[in-house]
Amino acid sequence: MTDPPAPSFEARLAQARDVSARLKRALATIIVGQDAVVEQVLWGLIAGGHVLLEGNPGLGKTLLVRTLASCLDLRFSRIQFTPDLMPSDVTGTNVLVMDGGGQGSRGRFELHRGPIFGQVVLADEINRATPKTQSALLEAMQEHAVTIAGTRHVLDEPFFVLATENPIEMEGTYPLPEAQLDRFLLKVSVPAPSEDELTEILTRTTGKLAPEPERVLTRQDVRELQALCREVAVAEPVLRYAARLVNASAPDAADAPDLVRRSVRFGAGVRGAQSLVLAAKAVALLEGRAHVSFADLQRTAPPVLRHRILLSFEGEADGVSCDQIVRELVTNVATRPAVVERAVQGA
Amino acid sequence: MAEPAQSDFRREFRSLAQRVHRRHAGRLALTGASLGLSLGALGALGLWALRFGEWRPAAAGLGVLGAIAGSALANRLRWSERDVALYLDARLASHETVTTALAAQSSSEPALAHVLERANQVLGSADPKRVRPKVWLRVHALLPAALAGIVTVSLLPLPPAPPPPASAPGAERVQLENLKGLERIEALAHVQGQNPEQDERLKKLAEQAKKLREELAKGLEKREALSEIAKLRDGIAAERLKLGDRQNRPGLDAALRAFSNRPALRDAQKALGNGDLTAFDDEMQKLANRAESSDRQAAKDALEEAAKEARAKGAHGLADALDAQKRLFERRESHAEALRELAQSLKGKLSPEALEDLKEFGSSGSPEAEKRLADGLERALEGLTPEERKRLAERMQQQLESNGGNASPMTKRQLEEMAKQLARKDGIDQLRKQLKELAKPEPSADAKREKGLGDAERGGADAQRGLGGMPIPTDGDGAPGGNPGDKANSGTSPPNGAPGPGSKHDSGTGNHQGSTPEIAAKELRSKAEARLQAGAPMHGATLGRAPARAGETANQLGTGSLGEAQKTEVGAVDHADIPEEYREQVGRYFEP
Repeated sequence: MTDPPAPSFEARLAQARDVSARLKRALATIIVGQDAVVEQVLWGLIAGGHVLLEGNPGLGKTLLVRTLASCLDLRFSRIQFTPDLMPSDVTGTNVLVMDGGGQGSRGRFELHRGPIFGQVVLADEINRATPKTQSALLEAMQEHAVTIAGTRHVLDEPFFVLATENPIEMEGTYPLPEAQLDRFLLKVSVPAPSEDELTEILTRTTGKLAPEPERVLTRQDVRELQALCREVAVAEPVLRYAARLVNASAPDAADAPDLVRRSVRFGAGVRGAQSLVLAAKAVALLEGRAHVSFADLQRTAPPVLRHRILLSFEGEADGVSCDQIVRELVTNVATRPAVVERAVQGA
Repeated sequence: MAEPAQSDFRREFRSLAQRVHRRHAGRLALTGASLGLSLGALGALGLWALRFGEWRPAAAGLGVLGAIAGSALANRLRWSERDVALYLDARLASHETVTTALAAQSSSEPALAHVLERANQVLGSADPKRVRPKVWLRVHALLPAALAGIVTVSLLPLPPAPPPPASAPGAERVQLENLKGLERIEALAHVQGQNPEQDERLKKLAEQAKKLREELAKGLEKREALSEIAKLRDGIAAERLKLGDRQNRPGLDAALRAFSNRPALRDAQKALGNGDLTAFDDEMQKLANRAESSDRQAAKDALEEAAKEARAKGAHGLADALDAQKRLFERRESHAEALRELAQSLKGKLSPEALEDLKEFGSSGSPEAEKRLADGLERALEGLTPEERKRLAERMQQQLESNGGNASPMTKRQLEEMAKQLARKDGIDQLRKQLKELAKPEPSADAKREKGLGDAERGGADAQRGLGGMPIPTDGDGAPGGNPGDKANSGTSPPNGAPGPGSKHDSGTGNHQGSTPEIAAKELRSKAEARLQAGAPMHGATLGRAPARAGETANQLGTGSLGEAQKTEVGAVDHADIPEEYREQVGRYFEP
C-alpha cells in the first residue's frame, strides 16, 4: 500500500485558510468583537511565537486564551502569577516517592511536571510574579525546553505561551525585564469593547450559559500551519524593508526619524526583526498568500515592535508612546527606492 | 510546471519592463529637452540683448543637448529589474507578488512556484495603461513655451546698438596726410647751428618731425601725436639761445646795463632784454644803416661793452653773440656808407623819391628804405652816359681822397671797386649786382638760427592746434601788439592822446567808443609791458617755460628757478590726481 500523494502547496494553502477561518469562527462563538486581538493571537499561534496580552481587567483576555485552548486539541495549562509563586511552581520539581510502605522501602525522585509542560500555557497576570519566577519562563519560551535539577526536558510542540498583564495596577507588580519581553513575538493591546460589542457580551453572558466551543484544530493542524508559515516566501526588498524598519528604531541609526532620536533609548534588535518577518508571514498565510508584502510588515509592526522599544526619559516626559514611535517608523521608512516611489506617485 | 511559469513570467515581465524603461527614458529625455530649451530661450534672450542676432536660433540646440543628456541620464539611471518589479507591484497593488516572483525564478520551492503563478496571473491581467509610468510632467510644459520663446526672440529685431563707450581723452586715432606746421620743424635741417653738435640735434629734430608726419599719415593716437609734438617743441625750445636762464641771466642783465644809457639803443636794448635776437639783429641793422655816426659808434661801443660784461659774468654764449653782432655791425655799416657815398656822387641824377629814401635811410636806417635807395641808385646808373660815368668815377675817387682816412677800410675798398666798375664800359652790370648785394639784408647767424627755431616752434604750436590741442605757450617771438593811437586802431580817441575821465593826473576828456582790433599774436601769450625796468622782461613773469626765479618780484631778485623742480616734486606727479594720459606730459613739464 502506497502513501497518498502529498497535497500540493496550493491545497495546503487553501486548507490553512480554511482551518484558520474555522478557528476564527469558533472563537467568535465565545469572544465578542476584539477581531484585531483575535487576529493577532492567531498570528502568534501560526508564527509559533508567544503573545503578551495587555489590557485592563475584565476585557476577556483570559477568556480569549481559554477559548483558544478549547478550540485547539492541545494541552492547556494555566498559571496564575502571584508574588509568592516560585519558579518550581511553574516548571515543576522532583519529589521523593517511596516505593511500598514500611521499613526497607526505597525512595526515588519523581518529576512532578509544572504547568509549563502544557502546550497552550496561560501565564495570567504575569507581572505579579517576582522576576525570579518570571525568569523561569525564559528557557521554556526561547528553547521550548526546561531544565529541572540538571535535567533538560524538551516541551511538546506546539508550545504556545499566552501571558496577560494589567497595565493600571502597578502596586505589587514587577515589570517584565526587556529580555523577558523580547521573548514574546507580539504584545497585543486589548481595547475596551465598543457599545455594540458590549451589548452583545451582556446578552451572551447574562443569559443561559454559552456552549463550549468546539475543537476545530488538531495538534497536527497547528503544526502544519506553523510549518506552512515558515514556507511563505519573502523577497529581498521586503526583507530589507524589515531591516530598515527595525534599524531605524534605534536612536543612533542614520535614518532614524527625529521622534526616535529624541524619544527612544533603545530600539528593537535582531529578535525583533525576526519576529516582524515571522508575524508578517503569518499575516500573509492568513490572507492566502505565499509571500510577504510591505503592507504585511506594516500591519505587524505595532504588536511586534511596541514592547521592544525602550523610551528615553525625554520620551516618557513628553508622553510619547511606543505605538507613536512605531507609527512614525512606518510613515518615515521608505518601502521602495526613492526614484521608484516618485514614479509610483507621479504615474 | 515551474518551467513554463517561469518563462511566461519572464516574457510578461520583460514586455512590461521594456515599456517602463522606454517611458522612463522618454520622460527624462523630455525633461532634459525642456530644461535645455528653457536655458536656450534664456540664452537666445541674452544673445538678442547682446545683439548676436545670427546665433539666436542656435540656442534651440541646447534643447537637443538637454534631450541627449536626459537620455544619457536615463540610460545611466536605468532601473534594475527589481526596481521595475517594485514599481509594477505598487501600480498593480499586487502585494509584492512580482517582486517575490522575480527572486523566485531560480528556485523550486513550492511556495515560490505558487508565487510565480500568481505573478503570471497578475502580469497577465495587468492593464498596460495602468502600469506605464507617466511621461508628461508639468515641467514639460516648458518645452513648447521655450521653443516658442526661442522662435519669437529669433524673429525679434535686434535692439539698437548701445552708444560706443567714450574713449579716453586723446585716445582717438588721427590720420592726417599733411599736418600743417610740421614742415617748419622739418626745415630745421637747413638751419645752421652754433656748432656741429647742435647741427646734429637740429637735423634729428627735423627727422623726428618727418617721421611723425609719416606716422600721422598712417594713423596715430591723438594723444601720442600731441605728445610727440610736445617733445619736439621741448627739443626746439632747448635749442634756442636762452639768454634769461640761470647761466646767462647775470650776463644779460650786465649787457643790458651797457645799453641802458644810450637813448638811440633803447629798442635794441628792449629786444635784447626780451631775448629776441632776431629783433635785436633788426635793430642793429637799422642802427648800422643810420647816417648819424655817433649813433653807430654808440651802438658799437655798447656791443663791445655788453660783450665784455657778459663774458665777465660768465654768459659766454651771449658774449659770443654780441661779438658776432659787432663784427656784422661793422660790415653793415660799411655797406650803408658805400650806398650813401654812391648816392652823394649821383645826387644830381637821383629821382626825388630816391632822395627821400636816402633821407629816410639815413635817419631811420630802415632796411626797406635801403632797398628802395638801392633800386633808385640802380635806375640812376642806368641813365648815365659813358662820359657821366667817367665823371662819376672821378668824383668818387676825389671824394675818397678828400675824405682821407675817415672812411672805413671796408667802405673804401667798396668805393674803389665801384669807381673801377664805373670806369669800365661794361662795369655797369657788375655795379648793379654790387648794389643789390649791398642792399641785401644780412642777418646774423644767431638771428637766422633763432628765426628758424622760432619758426619751428610756431610750426609745432600750429601742429598742436591742428590736432585740436591747446599749445602750451613757449618763449617765442610773437608779433608785438599795437600801441594806443596806432593807425591800426580804429577808435575815435583823439590822436593826441587826450586824457580819459578817470585819470586824476589828466584834465582832458575822452571817450571809450574805440575798439581795439584783435591782437595779431600767433599763439596764446601772457605778457605785460614792464615799465619798472625798461627794456628788461618783467620780473616774475613766466612766458611759457621761460625760466624765471622763484620768489622774484618787481624789485627783488629771486634765487631759484621756476624752470627747475626737485626730484620729489617730479615724483609727486606720478601720485597726483592727474589723468594717466597726461601724466607723462606733466612730468616732462616739471622735469629739471
